[in-house]
Amino acid sequence: MPAIECRSLTKYYGGVRGIEDVSFTVEDGEVFGFLGPNGAGKTTAIRTLLGFLSPTSGRATLLGHDATDPSESRAARERIGYLPSDPGLDTDRTAEAFLDHQAALRGSESRKALVVRFGLDESRRIGDLSRGNRQKVALVAAFMHDPDLLLLDEPTSGLDPLLQEEFAALVRERVDDGASVLLSSHVLGEVAALCDRVGVLREGRLAAVESVEDLRSRGGKQVRVRVAEDLDRDVFEVRGAMNLRVGETVSFTWTGEYDALIDLLDGFTIHDLEVIDAPLEEAFMTFYDGDVPGPGRRGEGREDRGASGIRRTHEAGETEPSTLVTGTEADGVDGGKR
Amino acid sequence: MSDRTAPWLAIARYEAAGGARGSVVLTGLLSGFLLLFLAFFPSMSSAGIDLDAYVESFPPAFQEAFGIMSISTIEGFLAVEFYQFAWLLMVGLYLAYLSGGTIAGDVTSGRMDLTLSAPVARRDVVLGRFLGLVPLVLLLNAVLPVVAYVGVLAVGETIGVERLVAVHVLAVPYHLCCVALGIAVSTLVSRAGVAQRVALGGLFALFMFDSLAASSEYDWAGSISPTAHYDPSVVLVNAEYDAVGAAVLLAVTAALVLLAMLRFRRVDLAG
Repeated sequence: MPAIECRSLTKYYGGVRGIEDVSFTVEDGEVFGFLGPNGAGKTTAIRTLLGFLSPTSGRATLLGHDATDPSESRAARERIGYLPSDPGLDTDRTAEAFLDHQAALRGSESRKALVVRFGLDESRRIGDLSRGNRQKVALVAAFMHDPDLLLLDEPTSGLDPLLQEEFAALVRERVDDGASVLLSSHVLGEVAALCDRVGVLREGRLAAVESVEDLRSRGGKQVRVRVAEDLDRDVFEVRGAMNLRVGETVSFTWTGEYDALIDLLDGFTIHDLEVIDAPLEEAFMTFYDGDVPGPGRRGEGREDRGASGIRRTHEAGETEPSTLVTGTEADGVDGGKR
Repeated sequence: MSDRTAPWLAIARYEAAGGARGSVVLTGLLSGFLLLFLAFFPSMSSAGIDLDAYVESFPPAFQEAFGIMSISTIEGFLAVEFYQFAWLLMVGLYLAYLSGGTIAGDVTSGRMDLTLSAPVARRDVVLGRFLGLVPLVLLLNAVLPVVAYVGVLAVGETIGVERLVAVHVLAVPYHLCCVALGIAVSTLVSRAGVAQRVALGGLFALFMFDSLAASSEYDWAGSISPTAHYDPSVVLVNAEYDAVGAAVLLAVTAALVLLAMLRFRRVDLAG
């Protein structure tokens, strides 16, 4: 039995499209990612699955229960954990009072462990907590009853890098214990780090569903080279080289064989060379007409290094000369799968 | 599951606990208001003015609106100066306003998403939100008769305990009806601020309609207003207790809560 089965799910708000004809399946034990810019319909899809919105047409099941039937949906919600992107918490109550209430509604087997793990001070008024700490309150509420299915809407938006990693570890533990996950994000790195498959939402429609592995292998290699000789752009305008940029260093995406790349570089005296997996954005470009979701394009390299845990990229190749970096270590998901 | 509290009870408890401080403050303020008016009574009654003749000169609609029967006795004075104005109108409007913000406010703030992501039925939320305001109604109607009784004694007057108790016992169905009205509006109007104003304005309009209709040949029409079924003046001055009115109010309360449940059952939560 799949954790989520969504068939032609459509939701219009009056005449305004929320989602249209969205079909996908999240298998038992799978982590499925919704990727798309704000307004693409990620939240609408999740809130329709939870029964907060009645679909205009189409149907969906959650853990085998009809999501559009109120009492069936309630039965499914016994085993669901939901983390909204902007949780509506009671700012004038303490975290403890709020979690007590949530526990009364859904159970709280692992509340204590989670509170300790994320270092949450339950005695504070929620209104006095920082954004990250508020997110922790919602996170504990979503996970504390050990749900079989987790619906996580932009889960790490308020968390600092360290907590993002802790959160990712928690999700992986739960998946190891048999839970299934639907996670939405507008940051590709986050999705790539956690998900098995990714559904790309665009203007309310599911543009594509791909496995992260396929995307990665299809993305090619990002090559950055600095040479002693004066450069002629034409030399690099060959088959297999894309997104060519020629400056002090030359960078391009290589989709050909390694041998051909070595032949190409053979005539130069190389000062610095970096070859890494192309960021997944490159593979996603086609879905967005070049408009890649997420804050900035990692393909551009040197932006915001270290500013966020899931965006630390290309650092390995920047300072050390003649480094050849391959594999997943530096493809922009170093906060993720290892 | 069996060791968990019923969702409607959990929600009612949580909301009541959240409103506890506000309830105590409101009870204190209204007690102070009552005592302030009572303190005026001795000087008014001893001033030698024929107050009853004065109020009889008021237009009938005005007399009806504020239940003016006699203000020279302590019962009549309390009825006019406090119960008709504060208890019937002010507290009624406040309860409608407060409850008007409940469901709509939860939906707008996203609180409802967290509540309903748990295995909670929509009707449990409506019932829980209604019951969460019941302690406030009970607190007000338990404390104020005591304050009134002590206050009356303090100004050197006496009042029948039975009448004082009755005016509050009969206020409970009326106040519950105001809460239910607000809850119902809160499921019909999606924006919290608008829902609050519609609930408050609606109750006030019904009160005005009742007052005007009562002094016209269409006096039966006024009975659509909750305010027509609770008359503190008749209770305090004439010691007449309208059990039918209380029953009507309780029935309307139940109907409004039911309406809210039906309406909220399938409505989209426009977060």
